[in-house]
Amino acid sequence: MHAKKLLPTIVMWVFGVLFFLPVYWLVASSLKSDAEITRFPPTFWPETMVWKNYPEIWDLLKFNVTSLNSLTVAVPTVLLTVLFSSMAGYAFSKKRFLGKDAMFVVLIATMTVPPTVLLLPLYFIITKLGMFDTLLGLILPFSVTVFAIFFTKQSIDDIPNEMLEAAKVDGSGDFRTFFQIVIPLLRPTLTALIIIDFVQNWNSFTMPLVLLQSESNFTLPLKLALMAQESVSIPWSKILAANVLTLLPVLILFIAMQKQFVAGLMAGAVKG
Amino acid sequence: MSYIRRKLGDLSAYAFILPAFLILGLFLVYPVIWSVVASFKDIKPMALQQAGLFEIPGKIVGFDYYADALQNPLFLKALVNTLYFGIIFVPITMLGSVLLALLVNQKLAGVNFVRTVFFIPYIISVVSASLIFVFLFNGDRGLVNALLSNIGIEGPNWLASSVWAMPVIAIMTCWRNIGYFMLIYLSGLQSIPTDLYEVADVEGASKFEKFRYVTWPLLGRVSLVVMILLLISSLNVFQEVYIMTGGGPADSTTTVPFLIFNRAFKYYEIGPAAAMSYILFVIVIIITIIQKKLVDKRLG
Repeated sequence: MHAKKLLPTIVMWVFGVLFFLPVYWLVASSLKSDAEITRFPPTFWPETMVWKNYPEIWDLLKFNVTSLNSLTVAVPTVLLTVLFSSMAGYAFSKKRFLGKDAMFVVLIATMTVPPTVLLLPLYFIITKLGMFDTLLGLILPFSVTVFAIFFTKQSIDDIPNEMLEAAKVDGSGDFRTFFQIVIPLLRPTLTALIIIDFVQNWNSFTMPLVLLQSESNFTLPLKLALMAQESVSIPWSKILAANVLTLLPVLILFIAMQKQFVAGLMAGAVKG
Repeated sequence: MSYIRRKLGDLSAYAFILPAFLILGLFLVYPVIWSVVASFKDIKPMALQQAGLFEIPGKIVGFDYYADALQNPLFLKALVNTLYFGIIFVPITMLGSVLLALLVNQKLAGVNFVRTVFFIPYIISVVSASLIFVFLFNGDRGLVNALLSNIGIEGPNWLASSVWAMPVIAIMTCWRNIGYFMLIYLSGLQSIPTDLYEVADVEGASKFEKFRYVTWPLLGRVSLVVMILLLISSLNVFQEVYIMTGGGPADSTTTVPFLIFNRAFKYYEIGPAAAMSYILFVIVIIITIIQKKLVDKRLG
């Protein structure tokens, strides 16, 4: 390595350590005993690893139920988002229909709407539809996103029209062409979209807070937040263990699919 | 007949667009309309309970709720608090992400690994990140105060202080966002054609000149977009406040979205909450228009 690269390398690693410190502190503290966690100054490394914090908090968090609820929301939402948004993206990219331009303008305009504006009406609309305190109320309203439509449209634009016309000449119907030609070509785009949308839905907090009432329906972040707020009796080490359990699934997903995730986000960022 | 046919376009297109049309219509466009109508009406929660899906019952009160909001000391305080958040969050995030992008754009030892590390906070949920920072900045036994006491400073009880609580929330948000905006800058930096730098080399440009005339103009363009995204996200701070401080101490961390949430879901003041949310919307629109003007001016 060149000597002149030494300084930037050191600076970069110092920042890297600084950024990682909160995550390290989270994991280290989650393994401390109830007594050790209250000590000041804190120990940098747990004196004894208290692994049993995890099974204990697993029960308090009702991890079996809450994680299943989170999956029950996230998986269908992501699958529907991919299907409905790429269908719309296909129509916007390759089809002519009445009101296309007007609809496109409306979609672009909605990107400036602050989420706070939607909160109250969504609560009433979902309640009116009988979906208050149901997981369906967290799935259906988010089963298409404007971001996903633009994101898929952008990739469908790159598919040559000749290819689709050739399929038509061969007697392929519109839906067959879409599922057998367009969807397979979109694979990298859709992979990225699946990861981004999954992380977003898994991490969602505000809508579950407003829409869920029964504890048996709570999703992970909601349960975690309420647990941390309501109970002064639970020691911090266990709250942090619950935190690790909550973010582990997305962390694993991210590390496994890093490349697609980053590529997808950057493509989205250029648009935004 | 054929004219109508031509006008209608592909009939199958309607089938493709239908699910998105219904869902976005009902859960995005209708809520935007609902809010604006509600902001002009005195809506009783009881009447609303009995109303149909497309009814918004209540007496029209005109711009009363808008006037009330603009005279409400707490709303004005929430605007100032939001501004305080933005003043810390926007510059630190911009500077941080530019600096890190310039660093990780070089071939340094372990650069790919460190890039990933910078990015990890972005996928951590706001709930998780907030809890981590509540613990880090705990007054009695937090890591931050332990580190400060090593250099002889006695740290405050951060989140219980009306001066320090908001900066802690802002720093947490910086930590979560810098990695993402670093990537945006990085993709910008990597889109600069290398010939530009080669030409500069041939011309005998110094390192500083290359930065000044090649890198800097690009950073300026990207920064304009980044700044708007950051300004808009400054106006949407809710979850962090809900979890870290609950708006306190003494309303010092009550942001506009947090105030609206309380008005709506704690006190059921539907019209006033809707009016406040539309004031927020108008601010976002103004910022977006200014951005568009600036971008057009720079690129045109």
